[in-house]
Amino acid sequence: MTVLEGRITEPQIAGPSTAGGKEPAGRPRSSAITEPLPVRLLVIAIGLLFIGLFLVLPLIAVFAMALEKGLAAYLAAITESDALAAMRLTLTVAAIAVPLNLIFGVAAAWAIAKFEFAGKSLLITLVDLPFSVSPVVSGLIYVLLFGAHGWFGPWLKAHDIQIIFTVSGLVLATIFVTFPFIARELIPLMQEQGTEDEEAALVLGASGWQTFSRVTLPNIKWGLLYGVLLCNARAMGEFGAVSVVSGHIRGLTNTMPLHVEILYNEYDFVGAFAVASLLALLALVTLVGKSLLEWRFGRELAAARH
Amino acid sequence: MNFSLDNRKVSLQPKTTQELARDILTASRTRAASRTRAEQSMAIELTGIVKRFGNFTALNGVTLAARDGEFLALLGPSGSGKTTLLRILAGLERPDSGTLRLQKQKVDAIRPSDRNVGLVFQHYALFRHMTVFNNIAFGLNVKRGDERLPKSEIRDRVLRLLKLVQLDNLQDRYPAQLSGGQRQRVALARALAVEPKLLLLDEPFGALDAKVRKELRRWLRGLHDSMGLTSIFVTHDQEEALELADRVVVMSQGKIEQIGTPAEIYDHPTSPFVYQFIGNSNRFECEVSRGQVWIGGQSFGGTGDVYPDGPAFAFVRPHDLEIRAAGSGYGIPATIRQVFTAGNLLRIELDLKDRKQIVEVEVDRSRSIGDLTSGRDVLLTPQRIKLFPATGAETPPMSEPVRRISQAG
Repeated sequence: MTVLEGRITEPQIAGPSTAGGKEPAGRPRSSAITEPLPVRLLVIAIGLLFIGLFLVLPLIAVFAMALEKGLAAYLAAITESDALAAMRLTLTVAAIAVPLNLIFGVAAAWAIAKFEFAGKSLLITLVDLPFSVSPVVSGLIYVLLFGAHGWFGPWLKAHDIQIIFTVSGLVLATIFVTFPFIARELIPLMQEQGTEDEEAALVLGASGWQTFSRVTLPNIKWGLLYGVLLCNARAMGEFGAVSVVSGHIRGLTNTMPLHVEILYNEYDFVGAFAVASLLALLALVTLVGKSLLEWRFGRELAAARH
Repeated sequence: MNFSLDNRKVSLQPKTTQELARDILTASRTRAASRTRAEQSMAIELTGIVKRFGNFTALNGVTLAARDGEFLALLGPSGSGKTTLLRILAGLERPDSGTLRLQKQKVDAIRPSDRNVGLVFQHYALFRHMTVFNNIAFGLNVKRGDERLPKSEIRDRVLRLLKLVQLDNLQDRYPAQLSGGQRQRVALARALAVEPKLLLLDEPFGALDAKVRKELRRWLRGLHDSMGLTSIFVTHDQEEALELADRVVVMSQGKIEQIGTPAEIYDHPTSPFVYQFIGNSNRFECEVSRGQVWIGGQSFGGTGDVYPDGPAFAFVRPHDLEIRAAGSGYGIPATIRQVFTAGNLLRIELDLKDRKQIVEVEVDRSRSIGDLTSGRDVLLTPQRIKLFPATGAETPPMSEPVRRISQAG
């Protein structure tokens, strides 16, 4: 009986013996999807040039200009009373805005990722709104709402509440501008993680809060940290929105970025760049923190995204 | 009892597993003696369950009842609604209409956290930031108020469950450090920790490779037999359903096609869908007249006057088709397309001569049939036929298969 051997065989396990075009031992195997060396070098060179020109050079320039008149002048500039007040204000605004955005961001991401409800796509659009709006416009919104001639102006005046040109206005503007950072970091993360873990917790008898605190929160902690880092960096460095609502009262309603502008306009370059260098330092610290997080917990970050 | 798990042969005295399982069950019964609710495995009654997702009807009037201690399989292709039904039982979905009773009690409005059911997911849904121990203890740790157990007792229970699922020394590992089979066992232990009245499993072995799947499902059946817990599992693998379940519920497109024991489902399918879904089948267009089945002008047996005259479908299993050389007169003419070897079976694909149809025949390799090569002409004779009228109406249940009238030569 002649029989044709058919298709039902064990699957072939790919290995060195079955791969075609084997390289001589000792040399790395050239993959079919890697560019040739010259192309790789060119692309890397372009990237480095871009980064060098637009990022590294300006940063170096900031520090160079700040230290132009020597270390003593530098230290004097950053310990001057108005500068210190600006630093305190920046820290205060960030200390209020970031935790609030943390709560808002987690709540929004939780609602969007785990539930279906009418208006969900609207909420997602609103979350992205501060990104698409110019920071100056973001600040203007608050002036138009709470300013003396704004919608709530008369009501606020009647109750002796002042928002524009005070710290509260700064905080509000900062919250608006930095809102998306945490939410945008968490939404795709939570959507990818899905609802199965939470469902398992519910069926096991956990309440809504227990499910959130014991199951959801640990799952998102690295994404959360990431988002907080970015949110903080932006909160401290925000200029446009804050400038509109600030009033620029030296020593009172000037954050660090605003103070830099004032010093620069008075031709106090050393002072301006000195304070700017602190902001640049903050940027570097943020970058390093981000990289550290990725380096140490990269595996978990990736695992959390499945 | 010998289990082979994780490539180790683990020899268990039958007494040990049963003792453990009985311990757990007895302990839970003793504890519940003071509770007002009767402590027995739950009976389930579903009546007219309808569930829609937008325009898609997932369940279209499902009525089902399960007895205490039964091991029920929900079997069907993707989209048949079986997972939706399971989720409704767990409380994760609410039916649009219909009622659900667990142990005579209407539970439609009761939240999943209060239903006391255990649910095992296809992809385990283990809490990846908790150790195995904490995963299993989770249901016990979230109990509130007077239901809360002392830490020592929680520890005892978890350790006993770990022993039951044979993961004794892995309590401090994290899910990422376990194999698929180990993770599934942790998921099972976690579901059992809260002593549910009903165990639900959603394609529990779907994500595992074939060998582990076979071992685990037999182990699960053994566990069920010791614990006597009412269990319902969802699968699209008919082999699994027929091997494990007390009764099988065959579903298709949101409706129940047939409920019966595995033997009933296989031997006496009540609809073409069930026949074709369970095992391989060939379908021939035929004609019933003068009390006989006619395919291509030849009679292949008497119907015993049970079936009405008219067009019908004759279903024949691949191993019920006999191949003979062409020219021997009697049989459906066909040409061999290709022959496949599958273990000790030969699978032969044939083209019918008088119509455009591919037919599959299964033959034991040891039987010599003569020369089977591609292109050869042969004759096919069905040995057993399952008849369904072409009108699509249900056949009378437990219908007898049509026997071929014995022919000389």
